[in-house]
Formats: sequence, structure tokens, C-alpha cells
Amino acid sequence: MFFALTDEQQAFAETVRDFVADRFDLDAVRAVVEDPDGDGHPVTLWKGLADQGALAVLVPEEHDGLGLGLLDAQVIARELGRAVAPGPWTTSVLAAEALRLAGSPEQQAAWLPGLAAGETVGTVALRGEAGSWDGRGITVDASGERLSGTASPVDYPAVAGLVVVAATDAQGVPGLYLVEAGAEGLAVRDQRTYDGTARVGAVELADTPAEALTGGTLSGAAAVGALMARGAVLTAADLVGVAREALTRTIDYDRDRKQFGVPVGSFQAIKHTMADLHVGVTMAEHAVLFAAHALDTSEPGDPGADVAVAVAKAKAAGAAWDATGAMIQFFGGIGFTWEHEAHFFYKRARRRAPLFGSAAEHRERLAVLTMDQPLS
Amino acid sequence: MDLSYTAEEEQFRTELRTWLAANIPQEWTQPGFWRSLDDAESFRLRRDWEASKTAAGFSGIEWPTEYGGRGGTPGMKAIYDEEMVRARAPQTVNVLGLTFLAPTIMAIGTPEQKAEIIGPMLRNEVIWCQGFSEPGAGSDLAAVSTRGVRDGDDYVVNGQKIWTTNAVHGDKIFTIVRTEPGSERHKGLSMMLIDMDQPGVEARPLKQMSGASEFGEVFFTDARVPAKDCLGEIGQGWRTAMLLLSFERGASGVGQYTEFRRQYDEIVEQAKHFGRSDDPVARQKLTACLVELECLRYHAMHILTQVEQGRDLGSESSMTKLQWSETFQDLWEAFDDVLGPEASLAAPRPDVDLTPYQAQAMWSRSVTIWGGSSQVQRNIVAERVLGLPR
Repeated sequence: MFFALTDEQQAFAETVRDFVADRFDLDAVRAVVEDPDGDGHPVTLWKGLADQGALAVLVPEEHDGLGLGLLDAQVIARELGRAVAPGPWTTSVLAAEALRLAGSPEQQAAWLPGLAAGETVGTVALRGEAGSWDGRGITVDASGERLSGTASPVDYPAVAGLVVVAATDAQGVPGLYLVEAGAEGLAVRDQRTYDGTARVGAVELADTPAEALTGGTLSGAAAVGALMARGAVLTAADLVGVAREALTRTIDYDRDRKQFGVPVGSFQAIKHTMADLHVGVTMAEHAVLFAAHALDTSEPGDPGADVAVAVAKAKAAGAAWDATGAMIQFFGGIGFTWEHEAHFFYKRARRRAPLFGSAAEHRERLAVLTMDQPLS
Repeated sequence: MDLSYTAEEEQFRTELRTWLAANIPQEWTQPGFWRSLDDAESFRLRRDWEASKTAAGFSGIEWPTEYGGRGGTPGMKAIYDEEMVRARAPQTVNVLGLTFLAPTIMAIGTPEQKAEIIGPMLRNEVIWCQGFSEPGAGSDLAAVSTRGVRDGDDYVVNGQKIWTTNAVHGDKIFTIVRTEPGSERHKGLSMMLIDMDQPGVEARPLKQMSGASEFGEVFFTDARVPAKDCLGEIGQGWRTAMLLLSFERGASGVGQYTEFRRQYDEIVEQAKHFGRSDDPVARQKLTACLVELECLRYHAMHILTQVEQGRDLGSESSMTKLQWSETFQDLWEAFDDVLGPEASLAAPRPDVDLTPYQAQAMWSRSVTIWGGSSQVQRNIVAERVLGLPR
């Protein structure tokens, strides 16, 4: 039994952590937050991540990647969440995953090296307004290899050179399609979000030429489902990083902050909340590790892995809401100011919590998996 | 990550599973069987069965062979816990002795204590109770007032213990006694191993809110205990107690998950019977518990890994206790949320007996109290893990 990260994986985490702390601290984050008209995609950070191999992590070695697993990728996601780092890492990695899982060798050769090197930014557009995250929420129609409809919200569409779009064909079969930036009929509408550590838009498609992802390991609904599952785990990992850092900063503050002549952290009302948060965040960390490992080691659609993904996303979303809300509460009035960093964490958690399925949606998924099936 | 057990450990699982399948009568695994027996009969059956399990080599799994154990790995202990639950094996009658006293004796006992105590405990010839809590010393264990006064080679003990598991069945009791007159708090305490079969010791059952009597009270009135029957040094009882309690920190989460997950599945079955499994609120309530249960499972794997790596778990056990006890309680609250008014009825339909479920629901109120209440555990996590000031 070895339920832990290896020394190598821990070293990888430290490398990413040190790099981000050194090169992209909270002042740098603030500059991005306070420039909502900017593209939210700082080049120094992106190039640095590319140098660390953070964009190549899941890309197979024959396409200039590291050929590692989701367990390694979640290490990076956690560190970026911890640093509330802006940029399209998650969504670009997912675009590469779509190619790895569903693309032909030619499609992979055309796109994966550029994505791995960070020369191309990718994003994924998998659902539409008010749609669910299980494939039924697809609002783009495919007519042959031309797409029409609007996908939203999409992370960083404005800087993406490649958009992986989920669309439903005339027979009602879902699938993944590649749309290149600048394609005819493609428009990106900036939607603005209060989470200043991201840029979000709607991808509008009007009879836009696209290329179906075919010839890979997965196709159709299975490909869409596998991509959703990976999105859920990487988002959960980001949320867990946000939650852990928010909690650590709050504890550090409440250890010193004095009221009534004593540190406020000595009051049980605060201690007990912190203890519960620590348990919750720790469990969420375990759940993300398990889910990433489950996806790395199972066939697509494996019910055990499906349970693990739903547990991880539900738990991480709750832990991030709780820990970042507590950060504002237990910093007191200062935590509610614009000058303080608490809102970076809170807003990032709040925006990301419903991506790839909210906690409630994943609990319903668990109900389908454990209540509607015959018991074993 | 490698979530598998070794081939040797899986071989052990096969052997244990085979033995359990052949040695647990079918009727024992039926719901309500154990509750249909009176307390004494239930205890006798379990005591004898467990002794036969020991004779077959399936007790003291991770203990050294010199103590009659199997010399197994932490993974084997986890497998043992899991398989015992799966087979619906009877629960141990010597839980406090096996969990706490035996490893403490192996660590700091005298050669005589090692030779005389562990074997008979493993064979259930001696049932051990734990004499820690008192009416005035619950969460605040250092407030114990049971006192022992030296008289020749003995100590003479007076006082009262409470919440004592298996009090009326116990043969001996490891007891925190204040042996230094006038001492206060953590000082002047000793861990005395007292024979309960003597005129100065009286055990009374304590009826719990659930109606069962797993607990009891123990009264000492000029009870005698030889000075040599002290575990650890005289006056060092607090240190002995802390060492003893540290042995709760094992990989028991694997077995707990297995048990609670089965209970989840049973509650889901009842929800289906009563047409409640399609209700969106019921589905959210139940699966919120499932999320926490699955986290308990992952946490158990994490803890098992720590144990296998020889790491000191320290105060992490408080986190484990919070996760399993709060989740177990929430699960049994969800039972009522899901079944509604039917949840409180023993026989809502002629063919449905909900009393075993209700027994679990009532029992669930105790788990956030004993073994360190949730409030105490949160203090420990906050102060010793997170470093918040006292």
C-alpha cells in the first residue's frame, strides 16, 4: 500500500511552487486582477511553466511531452490554485488531453508539440448556458464538419489558438471537434467574471469549419465523458490548492492577531472551525489524489473511477467554498477590503466550484452510480 | 501510488476468509440476531468464538509471535479488519485489552506482565476493562480522584469509575489511580492492574439511552492491588495513559469504512423499499454522506501508508476520529431524513423490522463522545496540528 506522492512527485510540486512564488507573487496576481481589460495571460508565467514542463506533463513523449499521468498533473494544478495564478493552464492541458484521447496520430502530431511547448494555447468548450456537464449540456450542433451554436463559459477563448468544442451531430451523437482561431464564423464574446485570476468568454460558432477528432482511443460520448472527468479532477485539484492556501494564511493571521488582549486563534469558536476546515481540506486532498490515480489506472467509464471523480469534485468544491469564506470571516474587516488578497482566493473558488459539475451535480451522479444500480 | 496489498497479504486474506466462512454460523449473520440474545448469552457466545479464532491463529494479527501473535504486517491487520466486517463476524469482547493494554505491556511491561497478561487476554481467559473516566473526570482525565494508599505490598483503592465498557463482564481493569496523596492533575497517578473478582470491587451495568448496557460503573471500596501490578512506574500513570491511548492510532479506518459503507447500502435499500430513493433531497442527503465515507476510505489508505513507513502519526489520529465519528452520525441522521416518519417505527410494515437500524441510529450519538469527544479532538487538531495558541 502506498497512498502518497512519490519523492519525485513531491519534488516536482516544490519546483512549481518555488517558481511561482519567486516569479509570480500576489503583487503580480493583483496586477492581473486590476487590469480586467488585459488578456489575463502573463507571458512570463506561461513561459516559465512551459520551461518547467508543466504544459507537457500529460503529452506523450513521442509528441515532445513528459508522458506522465493525471496524478502528476494534479500536483501542478494544486500549486497554481495555491498561488491563485492566472492563465489558461487547466484549459490548455485539457485541450491536449482531448487530442491525446480522441485525436488521430496526424492530429496529435499537428497540435501536441505546440501545446506541450506552450507555443499554442488551447481551450475546451464543452457545454452551453444552463446545460449540465455530462454531455447533455452540449449546445453546439455539428453538420458534417461545420459547427453552429454557442458554448459558454469558456476559459481564455480570446488567447486560444485552438478550441476543442463538444458538439452533437445530426444523429444526436456527441463528439469533439477542433476549431482554429480565426476560423470563419468564430466569434469570442468577453463575458467578464469577478474572478480576476481568469478570463472567460462565450464561443459563438456560425457554420464554422471544424475538424472532427477521430481515430484516437476514444470517440463520441466516451471521449466527451473522459474529458469532463479529467476537467473535474484538475479543477478539484486547483480548488484544493486554493483551499489549503486560504486556510494556511488564515491560521497564520489568527495566531498573531490580538483582540481582548489575546490572539483570536485562542478562542474555541475559531479553533474548532479551523480544525473542521483542516479535516475537510485534508480529505479533499486525499480524494483528489485517489481520483487522479483512479483515472490513470482504469478504463474509461469504470464505475469505481466515476465514483472517485464525483467524490473528489464534490468534496473539493465544498472545501474551497468553506475555507475561502472562512478566510474572509476570520481576517475580519480587513478580509473584506479590496486591498486584501482574501478575495482572490474566495472569487477563484466561487467561480471554479461549479465548473465540470457542481458539488450537487456530482452528488446526484453518485446517486445514479450507487442508488439506481442493482447493489452488488 | 500503489493501492494493492502484497501477494503474501492477499494469501492471508484468502486463508482468513476461508476460515471465517467455515466458522460463522449462518444465523449469526442475520439482522437482529445479536439483539435477540440477552446480554450475557451474547457475551458468552462471542467470548468462546473469539477464543476459537485465536486458536486458529487469527488473532493478534500484527503482534510479534513471541506474544502469541501472528507476526503479520499492518496491511494484514487492515485486511483482517475488513474481512471481519465482510463476514459479519461477532465483535470482539476484549476490545480495550487488545487495542490498548496489550501493546502498552509489550512496550513497557515487566517480563512477568508480558508473560502473564497477553496470552490469557488473547485466549479470552481474562476480559479487560479500562478504568479511566470518573463522574468528575470525563474529557478532563487529569481530574481523576480515585485514590490508592500504600499498605504493605499492596495499594488500597477507593473511588468510582464510569462509562466502563464491559464492566459487568470484566475480570481485570487497568485503572488510573491517584497514588500520591495530595497530588494534583497529571502528577502522582499510577496505572494499576486491578483484579475485579474481589469483595472491594463492584460493577453495575449502566443502561444507555439506546436501551443497551455496553457500559457500566465500577466502584472500589478498599479494593486491594499488589504494588507490582502497576504498569509503568508508580507515579508515572499519566505517561503510561498517554502511551496507551496512542495505540488507538492504527489502520482501523479500513474496517470502519467497510462497515459504514455496507450500512449506507442498507439504508439505500430501505429508501428503495419505501419509495424514497427518487427524491432529489434524499439523494443529496445520502450521497453527501457517501462523499465523506469515501474520503474516510482514502484517509485509511493514507494512514496505513504512514504506519507501513514507520511514521509517528502523532495528533493525526484526532483527524481520523473526527472524520469517522461525525460521518457515521451524519449517515444515521440521513436515515431519518430519507425515511421520514417510518424511520421511527419498529415495524412500519408487517415484513419490515427497522429496530436494528434504529439501534445503530441511537448508538451513533455515543461515538462523538467516547474516546475523546469531537470538541476535545478539535482542540487537539487546532493546537497540536495547526499550532493555534492554547
